[in-house]
Amino acid sequence: MIEFKKVSYTHKKGSGVNNLSLILNDGDFSFLIGPTGSGKTTLMRLIYFDLFPESGNIIVNGFNSNNIKKSKIPKARSSIGMVFQDYKLLFDRNLFENIALPLHVLGFPGREIPERVDEALELVGLHDKKHHLPKELSGGEQQRACLARAIIKEPDILLADEPTGNLDPVASFELVRLLETIHETGTTILMASHNYNLIKGRGRPILELKEGILRGH
Amino acid sequence: MDKFLYLISEGLKNVWRHKVTAFTAAFSLFLSLFFVGILTVAGSNTHKILEYLRTKYKIEVFFKQNVSNEEGVGIVHNIKKIDGIRNATLIEKEDAVRIFKDQYGEDIVEILGYNPLPVSAVVNLIRVNRDPIEVDRIIKDIRKLSQVDEVRYQGNLIKKIERTYQQLNIRFPYVAAILILIAVLVIYNTVKLSVYSRKDLIATLQLIGASNLFVKMPFIFEGMFIGLFAVILVLPAMIGTVEGANYFIDNFTSWGIKFTFDINTIIWLFAIVIVVTFIGGYRAASSFLK
Repeated sequence: MIEFKKVSYTHKKGSGVNNLSLILNDGDFSFLIGPTGSGKTTLMRLIYFDLFPESGNIIVNGFNSNNIKKSKIPKARSSIGMVFQDYKLLFDRNLFENIALPLHVLGFPGREIPERVDEALELVGLHDKKHHLPKELSGGEQQRACLARAIIKEPDILLADEPTGNLDPVASFELVRLLETIHETGTTILMASHNYNLIKGRGRPILELKEGILRGH
Repeated sequence: MDKFLYLISEGLKNVWRHKVTAFTAAFSLFLSLFFVGILTVAGSNTHKILEYLRTKYKIEVFFKQNVSNEEGVGIVHNIKKIDGIRNATLIEKEDAVRIFKDQYGEDIVEILGYNPLPVSAVVNLIRVNRDPIEVDRIIKDIRKLSQVDEVRYQGNLIKKIERTYQQLNIRFPYVAAILILIAVLVIYNTVKLSVYSRKDLIATLQLIGASNLFVKMPFIFEGMFIGLFAVILVLPAMIGTVEGANYFIDNFTSWGIKFTFDINTIIWLFAIVIVVTFIGGYRAASSFLK
C-alpha cells in the first residue's frame, strides 16, 4: 500500500507537490496525468524514497518516509519496480545482463536467473533479443526491456514514469497492454503520463496533478 | 555465494572495460611495489654488506714493552671476554719482527741489535649483529686493561659505516610508508575515475534496490585485481633484479656475498596490496556514494 499524508516537497527551481494526500491500495492500477512540471516525477521519486517530504509523510509497504533509515532504502526499493522514460538500461551489457541485474542485487541463485530472465523476456516479447545490446533495439523494445527489468523481481509495486514518452502510438498502446497484463498478477501499478488519449476509457482511476496539487482523485 | 561471485566477476569485467586506465594504474602500482620490494630485499641483505665491511675493521692492541709472550696470552684472554669481540690473536714479539720484515723488508733486530717491538694482538669484532658496533665502548674496555699501551683502529671509518647502516634502517620504514601511500593514491584515483565514469550504472543500481555495499564491491574488487596484477609483475622483476645484483657482485667485485630473495617479501607485498587496494577502492567508491 502507498499512502501520502499531506505531503509537500518543493524543488529549488520551484516545482514539486503541495499538501498531497493519496492512498493506493494493494492491487490498484492508477494513472497519474498532468503536464510537464506538474509534479508527476516528484511524486514517483517520493514513493521510492529518492526524495523525502518537507512536510507530511509517505508510507510505502510499511516503510515510513519520516523514520526510514538510509540503510533500509535498498530494502524498500526491492519491492518496487521502476520503468523510466529514458529506460536507464546499461549500454555496455546485453539485454540478458540488464534484466538479470535486479536478481543479482537480490542475491538470487545463479542457476535460477536464466530461467527467470527468459520468462520476463517472453512476457515482453523480446525473447529472441536477449543477446542484443540496448543500442541495437528500437525505442519501444528498449522500453519493454526496461519493463522486463522492473518486473523480473516480481515487485509489489510497479511505478512507470512516462514510459511511453519516447514511443510511437502503437508501441505506447502495447506497453499499456503489457502493464495491464502484469497488473492481473496482483501488482500495484502507478503509471504517469501526459498523454490523456492513451489512458482514457480503460476503467482505471486517473489522478490529475497540476502545479503539484492533486485533482480529480 | 552467488552474489559474491557475481560481484567478483563484475570487478574483473570492470578491469577489462577500462583496460587502458587499469594497465596504467597497475604499472604505477608496480613501480611503487617494486621499490618497496627492493627496499625490503636491500634491508634484509645490507647486513651482508655490513658483515663484509666489518671483516675489514682492524683493531691493533699494543702491550707495554715489559709484557712477555706468556703474559700476552693472559691479556688476550681478557680481551676476548669483552662484549662485542669475536676473537683476538696474539702477535708475539718474534711474530712482530717477521711482520715488520714482510712489510718493510728490513730486519729491525739486525739494525738495532735488539727487538723493540712489543707483544700485541689483532682484535676482530662480532660481525653478525644487526645493531651498530659500539666501537668507542670496546676501545675503552680494552684500554682499561693495565698492560695495554696503545690501541690503533680506524675509528672514523667504522663509525661512518655503522652510522650509515643505522640511518638506512631508521629511514627504510619512512620511505616504504611514502611508497605505500603513493600506491594507495594510485588505486584511489583509478577507482575514483572508474566510479565517476559509471555514474549511470551506480544510479541504476541504486534505483533497483542495490545497497551501497553492492555498488561498491565491484569497484573494490577492481582495485584488488589491479593490485594483484601489479604483484604478479613485481615477482619476476624483483627476482631478476636480485639475480642481476648477484651477477654483478660475482663478476665485478671481491665482496664474496650473495643477495637472497625471501619469498616472504612477496607474501608481504601481497598482503600490502590487499589492504591498500581495499582501502583505496573503498574510499574512492564511498566518496562518490555519499
